Amino acid sequence: MAKIIDGREIAAEIRGGLKPRTEKLKERGIIPGLAILLVGEHPGSLSYLREIEKGCDELGMYTDVVKLAQSVTQEKLERRIEELNQDNKFHGIIIQLPLPEHLDALRVGGTISPQKDVDGANPVNMGRLLLGEEAFVPSTAHGVHQLLIHSGNSPEGKHVVICGRSNIVGRPLMGILVQKQKDANATVTVCHTRTRDLPSITRQADILIVAIGRAEFITADMVKEGTIVIDVGVNQVEIPAGSGKFKLVGDVDFDAVKEKAGAITPVPGGVGPVTTAMLLTNVIKAAEVAADKIASRSLS
Amino acid sequence: MPGIILDGRKISAEIREELKERVRKLREKGIIPGLAGILVGEDPDSVTYIKLKEKGSTEAGIYSQIIKLPQDVTERKLFQEIKRLNSDAEIHGIFIQLPLPAHLNEGRVLSFIFPDKDVDGLHQVNIGRAWLGQPGFLPAASIAVHELLIRYGYNVKGKNVVIINVDNLFGKPLASILVQEKEGANVTLCHPSTPNLASYTRTADILVVSVNKPNFITADMVKKGVIVIDFGANYLEESSDRGKGKLVGDVDFEVVKEKVEAITPVPGGVGPMTVTMLLANTVTAAERQAGILVELINVSHYS
Repeated sequence: MAKIIDGREIAAEIRGGLKPRTEKLKERGIIPGLAILLVGEHPGSLSYLREIEKGCDELGMYTDVVKLAQSVTQEKLERRIEELNQDNKFHGIIIQLPLPEHLDALRVGGTISPQKDVDGANPVNMGRLLLGEEAFVPSTAHGVHQLLIHSGNSPEGKHVVICGRSNIVGRPLMGILVQKQKDANATVTVCHTRTRDLPSITRQADILIVAIGRAEFITADMVKEGTIVIDVGVNQVEIPAGSGKFKLVGDVDFDAVKEKAGAITPVPGGVGPVTTAMLLTNVIKAAEVAADKIASRSLS
Repeated sequence: MPGIILDGRKISAEIREELKERVRKLREKGIIPGLAGILVGEDPDSVTYIKLKEKGSTEAGIYSQIIKLPQDVTERKLFQEIKRLNSDAEIHGIFIQLPLPAHLNEGRVLSFIFPDKDVDGLHQVNIGRAWLGQPGFLPAASIAVHELLIRYGYNVKGKNVVIINVDNLFGKPLASILVQEKEGANVTLCHPSTPNLASYTRTADILVVSVNKPNFITADMVKKGVIVIDFGANYLEESSDRGKGKLVGDVDFEVVKEKVEAITPVPGGVGPMTVTMLLANTVTAAERQAGILVELINVSHYS
C-alpha cells in the first residue's frame, strides 16, 4: 500500500521556516502584505481565502481582500491593480480566478507588477521561470514541486507525466521540471483528458501529476505499480447522489489507486495546504526584495 | 518504401513568396518593414548567419540594418544601441546574433529589446506569452518545425510528440506551441541524457530531435510510420567540403527513412526555414505596429 504524503505536515514545515523571516522583516519595520482581488462573488474560493488569511495571521502578515463588482470594466480593474502596484503596504497581489467572462484574464495578469506578482500571473514571470531565472511561480505548480522534494521524491531523472495543461499547473510545472537544475532534470510529458489512449501514457509515469478537474478520473488500471501520484484536483461530489451531502474528492480514485501507488497525496490534505504555504513564501520573498531595495537606496 | 521527404527549401520558398505579398501590402500603406541585427565581434559563423538574414530581408523587400559592435563592447553601450533601435520607428524587428561574448549577460541584454520588436522571441515576456497562449513572438526554429508540419498537412492533435532538446531556443518554445489547447498534442520533453531514451522515442508519432550527435537516432529507436524532424547539424570530418566536412543531422537518415511516414533531410529540412521564419516574424511585427494586427497586450511593466 502507498505511503500517504501528508501535505499539512509539509506545509507546517515550510511555514516553520517562514516564521524567522517575517520576524526579521518586522525588526526592519516591514510587515509583508498581500492584496487579494476578488471580482464578484466567489463562494467556491471562500475556504481557500480563509486558509490564506489564517496563514497570514499566524505569521504576522497583513492581508486585505479588495472586492470589485461582477460588472467591473477591464479598464477599472486595471486601474485598481495599478493603484495596488503603487501601494507600499502590499508586497504581493493575487487575483482570484476565474474572472467574469467579459474580462481578459491574461491581460489582467500582465498588469500586475512583476515584483508583486506572487502567483506568477504575469507572462514576465512565466518567461523567467522557463529561462531558469529567479521568478514567481504559480503557487499550485510550486507547491507540487515542493511536495515532491519534501516527501523525498525528487523528480530528478524521472519520467513525470502531467495530466492537464492549464496556465496555473500543467504548463508552469513542465517549465520547472525540465530545467537543467537540481531537483528538476526530469523527462516530462504533458497530456490531457482528450489524449488518445491516455492510460498507455499514464502507465509510463514514475511520477503522475493530475490536474484536470474531474472527480476520480484516474483509476487503478491507469497507474503502474510504485508510481508517485500527486492529485491536484478538488471536486465536490454529492454522495450519495441526491442526498444534498457533499464530499471533496480529487481527480484520482484514491482508495483503489493507493493500493498500487508508491506514494499518493490525499484530497483534502495533500497539495492544497502546500499551495497556500508557497503563496505565503512568495509574499515574504517579495517583501524581502522590496526591503533590500529600500536599504540599498538609503545607503547610496 | 522510403517515407516522404519533407522539403524545407520548397516550403521556405513558398513562405517567402507569401511574405513578398504581405510586404507589398504594407508598402502600399507607406510602411517598409525594417529589421535590425546586432553583431558583436567577428565570429565567422555569426557573420555568415547574419549575412543570410540580410540577404533574405532584401529579397523579401524588408529594410535591413546590421549594427556591428566590437568584441569588447560594454553592456551599457549595447543597451544604448538597443534603446535607440527600440524607439526607431523604421525598425520593426530587432535581433541579436548569438552567442554573445562571455562578459555580456545574454539574458539581460535580450531583455533590453522592446518585446513587440523581439522577433527572435527570446525576451522573457515573449517566452511567457508563448506558454500562456498569448500572441507574441517565438524563436524561428520552433515555428519552422510547426509550419513544416502544417504545410505538409500533418495535424498534431492527439499525437504523441517527443522532443529531444530542452533548450530555450528550440525544445522549450516548440513544446509551448504544441501544448496549447488548439494544437492538442501530448508533448514529451526529453534531455539527450534521459535514461532509456528509446522507450520514449518508440512511442512517438512525431519525433523531433536536436542534440548535434550524428546517427543518434537509429532505426530501432523509432516506430513504423513516425514523422521525424531532424534539427541536428553535424559536420563529418572525413570528407572535405569548403573546409568543413559533410553536413548531417542527428538521425541515421538512410536507414530510418525506410521506416517513416515522413522525414526531414539534413541539409534541406528545418535549416533553410529558420531565416524565413525570422523574416515572417519581422513582417508580422510591422503589421502589428501598423495596427493591421492589433492583439498585443499592454507592456508598460516590462521595461
